[in-house]
Amino acid sequence: MKVKQITNEKLGETVYCARHESGLEIRVMPKEGYSSAYAVFGVKYGSIDTAVKSDNGEFETIPEGTAHFLEHKLFESEDLNAFERFAKTGASANAYTSFEKTAYLFKGSENIGESLEILLDFVQNPYFTQQTVEKEQGIIGQEIRMYQDLPDWQVMFNLLRALYANHPVRIDIAGTQESIAKIDADLLYRLYKNFYNPANMVLCVAGAIEPQEVFDIVDRCIKKSETAKPAERKFEKESAKPVQSYIEEKLSVAQKQFLLGFKEELSEPLLSLEDEIASEIVLEALFGKSSPLFKRLLDEELIDMGFGSEMFNGFGFSCVMVGGTSCDPEKTADIIKSEIKKAQAEGIDPAAFERAKRKFYGRYVMCYNDIDDIANMMMNLYFNDYEPFAELEACKNLTLEKAAERLAAIKEESCALSVISPVS
Amino acid sequence: MPHVRMIAEQVRLVSVKTDRFKTGRISVSMALPMDEKMAANSLLIYLLKRSCREYPDFTLLNGKLDELYGASLSATVSKPGEAQVLTLSLNCLDDRFALTEESIAGECAQLLASMIFSPNCKNGSFGADNLAAEKRLLIQRIEEELNDKRAYAFDRCISYMCENEAFGKPKYGTVEEIEKVKMADVYAAWKNALSTAIFQITVVGSADADEIAEIFAKQFEKIERSPVKPVTVFRQRGGHFNRYEEKFPVNQGKLVIGFRAGMQNSRDNLAAITVMNDIFGMGTYSKLFTNVREKLSLAYYCWSKLIARKGLVLVEGGIDTDKEKKVSAEILSQLSDLRSGKTDPEVLECSKRSLKERLTFTTPEGICSWYASQVLEDEILTPESRMEEIGKVTMEQVCEAAKKLSIDTIFMLSAEEEGEADEG
Repeated sequence: MKVKQITNEKLGETVYCARHESGLEIRVMPKEGYSSAYAVFGVKYGSIDTAVKSDNGEFETIPEGTAHFLEHKLFESEDLNAFERFAKTGASANAYTSFEKTAYLFKGSENIGESLEILLDFVQNPYFTQQTVEKEQGIIGQEIRMYQDLPDWQVMFNLLRALYANHPVRIDIAGTQESIAKIDADLLYRLYKNFYNPANMVLCVAGAIEPQEVFDIVDRCIKKSETAKPAERKFEKESAKPVQSYIEEKLSVAQKQFLLGFKEELSEPLLSLEDEIASEIVLEALFGKSSPLFKRLLDEELIDMGFGSEMFNGFGFSCVMVGGTSCDPEKTADIIKSEIKKAQAEGIDPAAFERAKRKFYGRYVMCYNDIDDIANMMMNLYFNDYEPFAELEACKNLTLEKAAERLAAIKEESCALSVISPVS
Repeated sequence: MPHVRMIAEQVRLVSVKTDRFKTGRISVSMALPMDEKMAANSLLIYLLKRSCREYPDFTLLNGKLDELYGASLSATVSKPGEAQVLTLSLNCLDDRFALTEESIAGECAQLLASMIFSPNCKNGSFGADNLAAEKRLLIQRIEEELNDKRAYAFDRCISYMCENEAFGKPKYGTVEEIEKVKMADVYAAWKNALSTAIFQITVVGSADADEIAEIFAKQFEKIERSPVKPVTVFRQRGGHFNRYEEKFPVNQGKLVIGFRAGMQNSRDNLAAITVMNDIFGMGTYSKLFTNVREKLSLAYYCWSKLIARKGLVLVEGGIDTDKEKKVSAEILSQLSDLRSGKTDPEVLECSKRSLKERLTFTTPEGICSWYASQVLEDEILTPESRMEEIGKVTMEQVCEAAKKLSIDTIFMLSAEEEGEADEG
């Protein structure tokens, strides 16, 4: 394998990148002085993948929640399950599914090579029967119920449903009780074949391991595939117009919670990293804890310390979210909207911009402390076609002009308000 | 290895010098008895976090933190045993990564010291507006504990279980107590904390610990110390068994079963109890995970937690309300297997490996919290010495520890039946 080294001098860190002949991308960051390693084996297959491209080039719809269901099922095998195998090496293993990917991971300090082999092996060897699928429907059913009672989760998904008419980002990661009932062993095998091929995956490792050891293990353990190719995603174009401007649900909560979202119309499926970071910094300057607005809303008793904002974007979706707990979500939302308008008219305060930029720069550097963060960040950058450390460079080089451009992309007519209010 | 020194009476500084991280962390913990001053103490820590003499306003202080590359400041109130522990911590970027030459850690230590010793307080007043604002935020924080039903049910079980013990009190004090707090009470709480609390300052990173020790030592010189050490009462066996139930309009019920672990102090037989609890319900090889979840698919989560500083073990699970009997019977039957030695010897080894792994900290936060949590212990233990004790635990000791578990209280948060809410 040809290995490329990418070094960031300021950080004093190097990433070793290689592409295995199977099509699998590998990224390794060895960390001196660390006694543990963290590895993540990721698949570009998440909850937004609700369609697969068939041989005739048409997209075929599949039930919601299949990526997450597969994530649960891959841990099983005919003899020892993956948890039992990891228990022998001492590593702690886990997995998660997000909108755009499924990730299998472990963290360990002893027998790291052996754990890595187990990771590569169990993800490459699916095993399910109708019986084990049915058993999992019970467990995932409980998981779905748990999330239905979490107000933070519900306020966000309700907002996404208010903003997006068709894009599958509006669907819960785990699907619904009804959609998972449609899943059977045959379907899982078919989807596994479609998404789980090396060209659609990446392996990222950080910590106490030599890059060459990782490459050797991959050489030994990854099956070669003649037909491996990245799975194609359907670009579900959405207009700037939300489905509805207000959505409310009653739950057993103490106070009202809200999330205000501004949808952005995309001509290309993905936002650039520079755009994404610029938006984050704009939001921090406008709504962060050192902003005049935060203080004002606090003084007017409209928010609490949990008030915050985030840039939420991925394949085919992009929106700004601002929210928290409030006794009067509608009034708070109006104040937020007028603050955005004011900043659009008068420009962003340069001092606030610099402060926010410094904060983000510091936070990005801090991510390189933690082997979990490093490996996951390397994976995210790869899946979005970026080289390691791209986020640091984008942040450092960001200009006020770029920030103003991103601020201008927030449109009042594209917004929706999601509210969770207490039952009776 | 940590460096431990006393810088004033009952003021311990524990420092772990390492340059392996990109950040440093400093935390200051103050342990106080659980008495009638709890509400005032809680408000105090949030007032100290809000501003200080040097940055006498919320916005200015947060602006300063942003400039320090997004240093993050947190205030927490915890109840590790029968003590209320107030903690202020700062995470900051290591000097090596600053964009210009500056001493971030030194500034952060100075800032933390001035927040504690030179608060924004004039003539005994922290500002009526500030106090009113922090009261509102704290009351809201307490009310919002209801939003997370898992955590809520867990706390309810403890409060019923320890109804007649200090540990049963809420960690912030009650809403009624908070409402009644006057400015003079907060001022007295500040004076009282400085002179009577058991302090521990914990420092992790490349910063010069001597310099930090000096900054704090200088401040303590001005204070007459008469420390009061909080004492936790350990009740070794459950008394009369009780079951409590509360109904809510939710999708999923939450079952919590509280046991007494038979401990006489926070380190009594700790290694064996830790391994026992892990095999009972923490790891993926545990009895609860493999049976309640994997075999019977009754829950997405069902695990046990050890609260060593009070000698309690609590089992919790998110379940269908109508399955309570079935789940609790299964939990007790698993406990009975654990007591009678029906555990695969391999599982004991898995548990030891996994526990060792969890004691291998990979972040400054992890290391810092390991040491900071020992604020009330006479002797500071390293993770390595705990690993060694765990390594020696035998299956007989695990069975013996399991036999000492005695059931005390069951708390069930039930889902209301359809229509029940309307009638109520």
